[in-house]
Amino acid sequence: MPDSVTLLFAFVLALAGMGWLALAMEAHWEQVYGEAVCSPALARRLRWLGGLSLLGALLLCLAVDHATMAALVWFMTLAAAALVVAFTLSWRARWLAVLLPGIRAELN
Amino acid sequence: MFQNLRLSMAWLHTWFGLVLGFVLMIVFFFGALSVFDREIDRWAIPSSRFEAQPMPSFDQVLKPVFETMQPSAERIDQLRNKVNGPVPTHFTTPSVWGAYTTHRDPVLGLFVGYEVPNAKEHDTRVFALRTIDPRSGASLPDDRLKIGSSFFYPMHYSLTFYWKNVGYWIVGLAALIMLAALVSGVIMHRKLFRELFTFRPNKNKQRSLLDLHNLTGVVALPFHFFFAFTGLVIFAGIYFPITHTQLEPLHELHERLDAEETGLPHDRAGVAAPMASVDAMVVEAQRRWAEKGMAGEVGFLAMRHVGDANGYVSIYRAGTDRIALTGEGIHFKAFTGELLREDPPSSAVDSVNEFLTGLHLQHFRHWLLRWLYVLGGLMGCVCIATGFLFFVEKRKRQHAKQGSQGARVVDALAVTTVTGMVVATLGILIANRLLPDSMGAGWPERQAMERYIFWGAWALAMVHAFLRSAPVAQGRLNPAWREQCLAVAGLAVVAVLLNWATTGDHLLRTLSAGYWPVAGVDLFMLAGAMVALFAARKLKQRAQRAPVLRPESSGPAHA
Repeated sequence: MPDSVTLLFAFVLALAGMGWLALAMEAHWEQVYGEAVCSPALARRLRWLGGLSLLGALLLCLAVDHATMAALVWFMTLAAAALVVAFTLSWRARWLAVLLPGIRAELN
Repeated sequence: MFQNLRLSMAWLHTWFGLVLGFVLMIVFFFGALSVFDREIDRWAIPSSRFEAQPMPSFDQVLKPVFETMQPSAERIDQLRNKVNGPVPTHFTTPSVWGAYTTHRDPVLGLFVGYEVPNAKEHDTRVFALRTIDPRSGASLPDDRLKIGSSFFYPMHYSLTFYWKNVGYWIVGLAALIMLAALVSGVIMHRKLFRELFTFRPNKNKQRSLLDLHNLTGVVALPFHFFFAFTGLVIFAGIYFPITHTQLEPLHELHERLDAEETGLPHDRAGVAAPMASVDAMVVEAQRRWAEKGMAGEVGFLAMRHVGDANGYVSIYRAGTDRIALTGEGIHFKAFTGELLREDPPSSAVDSVNEFLTGLHLQHFRHWLLRWLYVLGGLMGCVCIATGFLFFVEKRKRQHAKQGSQGARVVDALAVTTVTGMVVATLGILIANRLLPDSMGAGWPERQAMERYIFWGAWALAMVHAFLRSAPVAQGRLNPAWREQCLAVAGLAVVAVLLNWATTGDHLLRTLSAGYWPVAGVDLFMLAGAMVALFAARKLKQRAQRAPVLRPESSGPAHA
């Protein structure tokens, strides 16, 4: 896999991870799903999923670059991903539902 | 003084942030541009628009150029107070020849440091600088300003105020205060993690501004912290100038002992000697790097005590594949070409220092990380700008009622440092494309003109910001924000069009040729123009909705 594609995957993983972490928070869950309640168990799973994705992003960064460089790329990717998730929540919150396919049907 | 820690932190954050925020805004913005300083140089100097080149042959290309280099009249003039007796006009004893390049440089920068006869202080040197095309050895005109690496980059760390190094000190103080602002900001922020993803653009203006301030401050917190901190580390030698004050004798002793230990002569022998083939030394250095599993190009090449029996050549590797700024230096005797020394692996402390400085100075080849640094820098700008705006929003209605001018002045200064700075930046790029190749008699030289136009445009933006600031005193928006956004949009498009008109390099051509340095600068300016237009439209909508607040008393508002 070319390095640029690996790094793209790292960014996508960081983005999804930040998105899941946001969904695990009550205020942001409401922005995406409204009244439907997020069970504590689901919130916990979302936090795990989010954390693991961020870790996965780090591993992908490490696969491309020298460890010192990968650490910087990872930190900055996290910042960019958090920014994108925050702006998505501000203007197009419902888009984050794409991170939990099928759950809407379940809630209804 | 304050009831609790949080209030005292808030005071510190507000007032120190306000005063030094203006400096930090400049540091962040020009820091972000400096990530692509070499690319901006290509845009500004069309004759240097070709692919990056490796270090050329020393024996064939560099040596003949070094031998003809002499300090400029201006630099010789600066020696006047440093010499006993008349200042020489021609210098004959070079103490160092140096050539420095990176993986992003098509042209090569050379310098020669000459010993100064009859100098009052024994270490005095006068430097000659030149930029050449490494393919042919031909010199580029001296009076072309490398806007990226010789103007925006120095602006980032010194504001280009060189008198008594005062610019470095202001920037250093700002970096120190920035660290304090980050710590106090984190303490003030009650919900650091709970509001990590929170930006509510449709709440009241103060809430939205504070959200954006927190968001851009917190998500890039490691970036902000490390860049302020490493910036201070890099210039520690300036901020703690003990080696040439209290500890001067120790410093001199250390230099001599260091020379004894490394076998690299500290002084000239006083015996003239020819030099062996430096190209052969380069081949040997590259062989040794490859042996260590670090095959690479030459980044920095220097010859000390040129033409003397004690002369030696130091060859450093270009550090494109790691963060740490290490040269893996290999040193040869210039006279015979024999190996004098290979730098040993760094100690733990050195490694940390090399990582920290390398992280900030970014010699590595990693385009994604470069762009992420630009993003970090721009987030810093947004964080500071929203800080100013929050300060103004919080106070302007109250100030309007009291008839105070405080919010008005801060707002006008904010216009100057936010949009005004961008106007000035575009101003120098436009001047660069419009000024004639050589200024006529009686005019300053071209590169000075470019810098004057930069400061002139900024001063105009400031005058405009203050002239239009009256509505702020009534609790309304300064129309200068919108007008300068429009100016930025217009100037950015003009700059791109002028690049096309004066060089023929329009975007279709640079993009299809894949010449990213110039295409990237053009695209970045066009993207900036779109953001500015969007902002201007939003500001217009907001101005039409805003209520008018007048001072409560009808006469002069206060005594």
